[in-house]
Amino acid sequence: MVQIYNDYKEHADFLTVYVREAHPTDEWQMKSNVKDDVCYAQPKTLAQRVAIANDFIKRFNYPIAFGIDDISNAANDAYSAWPERFYIIDESGHIAYRGGMGPFHYNPDEVRAWLAARYGSVKHDSPSSATPVASLGSPN
Amino acid sequence: MIHFWKWTIAVFLVLLLAVFLVLCKMAGSPKDVYGMVRYALPHMHRGNLKVGDDAPDARLVALDGSGHFHIRERTGARPLVIIFGSYT
Repeated sequence: MVQIYNDYKEHADFLTVYVREAHPTDEWQMKSNVKDDVCYAQPKTLAQRVAIANDFIKRFNYPIAFGIDDISNAANDAYSAWPERFYIIDESGHIAYRGGMGPFHYNPDEVRAWLAARYGSVKHDSPSSATPVASLGSPN
Repeated sequence: MIHFWKWTIAVFLVLLLAVFLVLCKMAGSPKDVYGMVRYALPHMHRGNLKVGDDAPDARLVALDGSGHFHIRERTGARPLVIIFGSYT
């Protein structure tokens, strides 16, 4: 996703919204999280959620604007976002694109296609040189 | 009649096993099936939003933990790509 951001940040705004954890240690933890040393319990307070978000930003030097869903999960509920999902909101405030529910239907290529249809495609010599990022940024 | 119930139960068990195996394939292991059913499915909602709907607003917390802003504050001038997700 960072690659798409870099390709289209002159044309569109990007916002990452951090929602409740998908694979915390006290729920459904994945082996890959242990391997990648991404081990967090499900935050019970906003402070815990903020701390994890900041860990993520620092670890990956994440460049995209970032907002944290309140512990009431208001943004998640409004957008049916969990565990991961893309949206594009157009200039008139309407939903222009609604991605599928992750992880099976989480498709950054659809976001790229939407942006490419409007602003032209951006070609790369190599697939991507961006640093792999855990869940939030996995779609490099 | 007993014959009927035997077959009904057998078919049910075979279907149950098939569902379990499909879930194992999707999730990765029996432990992951438990995790998916216990923790993921209750939080996965398809939702009713459609392309063309007004984008809902929600108040977000800034990275400093004290500031706030609204999603709709970021819309208007250009398209806004929103990436929902978590660290794990």
